Amino acid sequence: MSISAELPPRPVPRPSLFAGLGAFGRALGATSAGRFIAIALLIAVLAFLSVYPLSMLLYGSLHSTPPGVAGEFNLDGYADVFTWQSFVTLANTVGISLAKTIPSLMLAILLAWILARTDTPMRGTLEVLVTLPFFIPPILTAMAWGMLGNPQVGLINQVYQWITGSTAPLINVYSYGGVVWHMMQYSVPFLFLLIVDAFRAMDPGLEEAARMCGASRWRTFRTVTLQLMMPALTGAAILSFVRGIENFESPLFFGSPAGIRVITTDIYDSINQRSPPQYQYATAISFVILVLLLLVVLAQWRMLKGRSFTTVTGKGYSPAVMKLGKWRWFTFALCMLFFVVTVVLPVGQLLIGSFFQFFGFYQWDMLTLDHYRAVFSSGEFWRGFRNTMLLGLVGATLTMLLGGIVAYVSVRTRWRGRMLIDGMAWLPWMMPGIVLGVGFLWGFALLPHAIPIYGTLWALLLAYISLGTPLSVRVMTSAYAQLSYDLEECSRVHGANWLQTMWRIMIALAWPAFAVGWVLLFFGIMRELSASVLLYSVGSEVLSVVLMKLWANGNAEQVSVIGMIMMVMVLVIRWIQLRLIKTRIGAL
Amino acid sequence: MSNVTLEKVSRSFGDFVAVDSVDLRVEEGEFVTLLGPSGCGKTTTLRMVAGLEQNTGGRISIGNEVVSDAASKFVVPSERRRLGMVFQSYAIWPHMTVFENVAYPLRVRRRPNAEVQDLVMRALRLVEMERFAERPAPALSGGQQQRVAIARALVFEPKVLLLDEPLSNLDAKLRLQMGDEFRSIQKRLGMTSLYVTHDQSEAMALSDRVVVMDRGRIQQIGAPEEIYRRPVNRTVAAFFGTPNLLDASVESCRRIAGGRIQLDVAGQGWRGPCDAAAELTPGQSVTVMVRPEDARIAGPDAVRGEHELQWTGRIAHTIFRGPTRSVFVDTEGGRINVDAPAFGNYAIGDNVNVLVPQSAAWAVIGHKEAA
Repeated sequence: MSISAELPPRPVPRPSLFAGLGAFGRALGATSAGRFIAIALLIAVLAFLSVYPLSMLLYGSLHSTPPGVAGEFNLDGYADVFTWQSFVTLANTVGISLAKTIPSLMLAILLAWILARTDTPMRGTLEVLVTLPFFIPPILTAMAWGMLGNPQVGLINQVYQWITGSTAPLINVYSYGGVVWHMMQYSVPFLFLLIVDAFRAMDPGLEEAARMCGASRWRTFRTVTLQLMMPALTGAAILSFVRGIENFESPLFFGSPAGIRVITTDIYDSINQRSPPQYQYATAISFVILVLLLLVVLAQWRMLKGRSFTTVTGKGYSPAVMKLGKWRWFTFALCMLFFVVTVVLPVGQLLIGSFFQFFGFYQWDMLTLDHYRAVFSSGEFWRGFRNTMLLGLVGATLTMLLGGIVAYVSVRTRWRGRMLIDGMAWLPWMMPGIVLGVGFLWGFALLPHAIPIYGTLWALLLAYISLGTPLSVRVMTSAYAQLSYDLEECSRVHGANWLQTMWRIMIALAWPAFAVGWVLLFFGIMRELSASVLLYSVGSEVLSVVLMKLWANGNAEQVSVIGMIMMVMVLVIRWIQLRLIKTRIGAL
Repeated sequence: MSNVTLEKVSRSFGDFVAVDSVDLRVEEGEFVTLLGPSGCGKTTTLRMVAGLEQNTGGRISIGNEVVSDAASKFVVPSERRRLGMVFQSYAIWPHMTVFENVAYPLRVRRRPNAEVQDLVMRALRLVEMERFAERPAPALSGGQQQRVAIARALVFEPKVLLLDEPLSNLDAKLRLQMGDEFRSIQKRLGMTSLYVTHDQSEAMALSDRVVVMDRGRIQQIGAPEEIYRRPVNRTVAAFFGTPNLLDASVESCRRIAGGRIQLDVAGQGWRGPCDAAAELTPGQSVTVMVRPEDARIAGPDAVRGEHELQWTGRIAHTIFRGPTRSVFVDTEGGRINVDAPAFGNYAIGDNVNVLVPQSAAWAVIGHKEAA
């Protein structure tokens, strides 16, 4: 073109970003070769995140030496698993988990009923307060309760002894009771969150019908409400039981000092506390517990098959709210009591602990800001803080993206291989963090030296993504499931290409779910301890690991400071999340 | 069987008055329907009778026994009112079989097993569901759930049967069939029934008396024929069918034989006599209701008979409806809809006359704006 040479240079009209990406999207979505590549990529990523550590567990359990050291294959690890000692550990694990699940479930039902079905004052606020413990990293409350319930210097025992003049302590958290109690603080709000919607969404006619038939309130609750909720309750209880078996913080902090061993702490001890580390035993018992959990989950599927009642009808009736009269202040007090015991007490302990010179000695002349100064000038704290934030932001984003893609493929397409993808993404669901940590430990160590993941932040990032994927897939699946196919098809029919459709319709409509899932994952990463503690190395410590090291050194004061900082972060994020949900609901 | 009496019953939610001073008496064995658009307070009224909702004013009695009195804060809870109720969603418990669903009211009352067996099977036979007794409830169709719900409401011989839009979730054909069946059961048992619906044809087909409600107030109580023919105001007139409502003003008013009231009215381009509910003074604005099925189309030269009203206009458009054809005629007084024979010869633009027997024209107070 001769004219253009004389004109001032102008930007060459380029295909817009959309058109360019659209062509790529079309290639991926529409052509069979592109589809094949997309599926293969996804399978490769998921295989590395879930199948690989799992198979490494099996490999490691048969291998006689630590990862990376030449050795032979034998069954010694499994021989160690089938001993009386291990049996006691297993019985402890199951017993503790049962002991916390049953009272937690009853308390959660009570709270759900109070907050969803009665006229207790300020139910909205109470619901936020009662579920707050779920969002506090367990390591914080564990340490706080370690201070509160310490038999010698714990605040509760000091107050008790001061009031009664007794010399015996009231409570000792370093016991079975302590382990169960600490677990309950998490499982009650966890169960509550799982079952409260079942209480809320029920067609009020089902209960009113019972009342009209002459049944009293209590009988209605027993024979109709509770029965209808049975599937949801059993499902939640089994999940809570599995979580109890996977729990690491509670037995680590309260069980190990008292000689109470459960499987997760056993795995941890045999790698970190014994010399030489017993990798083979740790891996073997990891594999065994994995198989047991798989059996539990399969049993749950069988039990709940076809036992889910749809009790929600189209009619927009809010469920009948029971008028409690004067008793509503009692239920209000009950919810507040739960909040005080599970949040105010431990957080208050951290607050107090962070301002006094020495833990356990609370006198006015011992108030100090030294610990804050020490923490803020500590390189280790800042490194942990940076690592946690970085891993949280990147990890949550990547996990949600992966989950969004997996969910899309498995819910919205008819691609071959989508069942496999869904299954692989679900695998880490029943893997305790510590077990996945062991699997990755082997996996990263056996990678060729050209891929230096072992001992870096990448190791933690990959483990977090793996642990979070089942959640992100679930969140995004339910979001997509609520969007009718018509929306997508309509957009296509009206001339939008695949990527535009994804961008404008699917992502625009699914982003609130994305955001909610993201925040949950961020919380998850911030509190993660069991996998981190196996996979970190110098330079890649996260906050929870920093906390644990300080605790192990007996520095309860600086633990309190970091705990307070983390608490503020939790509150801020939780507040943002609640705002987000509120505006989202308002927009719908 | 018992009667039901509502005296000045009200229900307000904050500032919003959902039900405003309702007076109603349902006689023993009577089938009364509460009819109105959604949000008119009919369901709230029913739920107050059931005790599922508290009345904030007035008194409710069942069988001459007060069950709720707002003034003295006296309330009998739902479960002790001995009422049967059929819910819009049927509220069949999915975790029980059909038999257990129906047996529930008897089990609550601790009847012996043999009696339960006997009564449940009798109730199921009544609704022709005895073959399904052992089915789990979720395996039922909508119509079957409906029958189970009725059986459950009847099995313990309640004082009164309450029905909250029980047919609204069924398809059109089944709705007619279930409605007729239910009416025959009700008549056979002589069951006092209070029925809520927004469907006027359902209300007319089933009820002894219809209570038309709007915005929390009772507009009119009467037999279906009466309400259809002689609505007391524009709201009620507009609610049944698709009547022509024509603005007019009163020229004269007189009482004729049988206590009926006759008006001479004049509208834009037409005048003539019609019936009315109340005595009116000349000059007052009225709306004249003419039902499409009462009007007929005549040629442009037709002359009205002695007892007929007449409008002249041209055909705007027609819609074939199967049994009839809706012909819309534009006249000076407004557009008139006429149900004409389906296969008559009507071309758009034809000049025609619309003739209506004077006895089919009914005047109510007020104009369109006022309604």
